[in-house]
Amino acid sequence: MFIEILIVGLSLGAIYALIAIGYSMVYGILKLMNFAHGDTYAFGSFICWMLLTKYDLNPILSIIIAMIVGGVIASIVEILAYRPLRAPEYRNISMISALGVAYIIQNTSENFWSRQVHSFPSIISAPFVSILGIQIPTTQYLTLGIVIVVVGGLNLFLKYHKVGKAILCASQDIPASSLMGIPINRTISIVYLLGGMIGVIGGVLYASSYNVLSISMGFSGTIVAFEASVFGGIGSINGALVGALILGLLHSLVGFYISTAYRDVITFAVLIIVLLVRPKGILGRYVEEKV
Amino acid sequence: MEKNRKIIVFILVVALSFLLPSFVKNYYWLGIFNLILMYSILCLSLNLIFGFTNLLSVGHAAFYGIGAYTTAILLTRYHFPFLPSLLLSGLIALFIGFLLSITTSRVRGDYFTVITIVFGEIFRLIMQNWVKFSGGAVGIVGLPAPQLFSWRIISEKDFYFLGLVLFWFTYLTLSLLVKSKFGRAFIAIREDELAASTMGINVVMYKILSFSIGCFYAGLAGSYYAVYNTAIAPSSFTLDESCLMIIMVVLGGIGNLTATISGVIVMLVATEVFRPLYHYRLLLIGLIMVIVLVRYPYGILGIFNKIASMRKKYSYRKV
Repeated sequence: MFIEILIVGLSLGAIYALIAIGYSMVYGILKLMNFAHGDTYAFGSFICWMLLTKYDLNPILSIIIAMIVGGVIASIVEILAYRPLRAPEYRNISMISALGVAYIIQNTSENFWSRQVHSFPSIISAPFVSILGIQIPTTQYLTLGIVIVVVGGLNLFLKYHKVGKAILCASQDIPASSLMGIPINRTISIVYLLGGMIGVIGGVLYASSYNVLSISMGFSGTIVAFEASVFGGIGSINGALVGALILGLLHSLVGFYISTAYRDVITFAVLIIVLLVRPKGILGRYVEEKV
Repeated sequence: MEKNRKIIVFILVVALSFLLPSFVKNYYWLGIFNLILMYSILCLSLNLIFGFTNLLSVGHAAFYGIGAYTTAILLTRYHFPFLPSLLLSGLIALFIGFLLSITTSRVRGDYFTVITIVFGEIFRLIMQNWVKFSGGAVGIVGLPAPQLFSWRIISEKDFYFLGLVLFWFTYLTLSLLVKSKFGRAFIAIREDELAASTMGINVVMYKILSFSIGCFYAGLAGSYYAVYNTAIAPSSFTLDESCLMIIMVVLGGIGNLTATISGVIVMLVATEVFRPLYHYRLLLIGLIMVIVLVRYPYGILGIFNKIASMRKKYSYRKV
């Protein structure tokens, strides 16, 4: 039983990782807590659900369309609501306009798809696979695989591609990298686009492995992304991955062995303890403050 | 001269606020005024924490909830009189705020924000699940009407006066506080924490002080909410509620107490005005937030400043 719970927890953590990575990338470059992230990926997941159930589209095609929609929305939001407030002294204010955007997206998707919980079709036909006598749903393995591919690809992209390098530069110092000729506005739009797209994959995977889809997923997703990135150290992609995996494991282990009612309380308490011991998260870098 | 004029205007405003119920007889509007007063207390105290000391707390609803639960439990189970329970609500919120800020004094910036969010959620979840203590998701119902000496507070109008007294108490004490040595220290920390510490300001102590004082007023507001609503449930103290308070503070103008009240009024009146458009309410509120903030990052205060500077220009031209 323990191994099953472990694998379920890992795959849950992997989904959290996809949601958290987009969030953490935005934080890394702009130091902005993007409250609209959750609602953007929920919107994308609803698009995917609509394409799957109403138009009977091919799952892969509908995921790709949903990803593009999610990414485009995220970057439009950036241009309209965050770009005018990018100056460091407006940092806290841009967070509130992010919250306003979250309200707008949430309300729009509520008007399109209502507040009730919808059932999401499973994308994969074979429900269970048995390895060494352990029964595990196929989606869990698929999720883990997708996360490994996405995170690996993203790391390679950031390390070797020109645009990826530009993103890393901008996350270190925006004025200096704009002096070096990096197009800051375009780079930031790309970060939002990528974050939105990866978030939608996470949302679709979550919805298809638990067969539910609802609007409240958006806000709780923001909180999960926030927790996961803080666990790992905000701003680093691998930190978000580690944080998300720990969070997923904690959720499934505490939920099974201790109590489901107090599951969130216990995870939150662990989060506070981690922050008290390591105020910058598990993989967080300590940067000396310059005067 | 300038100071005298300010004092006269202030006294006039206070007098008007006490006379208001003799003009407004409508209970619906009095109810909205009561909400405005309560949220003003919450947002003024949050502005002390966030606007003056730059500690972004997204868990203010938890302290508001602590106040509400304290009063509810004291009134229904121990039959305490109202005044001591009001004070105790504030003090317990202050104490818990003190404990939270002292344990997290090492944690800075956004990590502090995370801790406040998490604390708020922990509070709500415990209240929801600890049925014996807090009544679970149903909460505590049937609070008796509060009695202050011989004044039985029962009608909408009575609650207006109670709220008004609490509100002016909050407003006055906080305005005095931010103009004192403490307030200057808070502002110094907001502007530059490192510079403040090199100037000899005990950053940790002042942060703890600001946070705990802010929590005290949130506890008072919670106590008022509990007796006004006569029933409380964990669903009133959610993360959304904390976000709403932050929105009101930012929409009014960070670091200005009077502007905070305008933010509260705009948000609550907008909620009421858009009530018929139920399906688009949140959308419209979000649009207002984004448009106002993108155009005027310092909120409604920024709009006023703009008008003031335009008037000044105009009067110069006349001369």
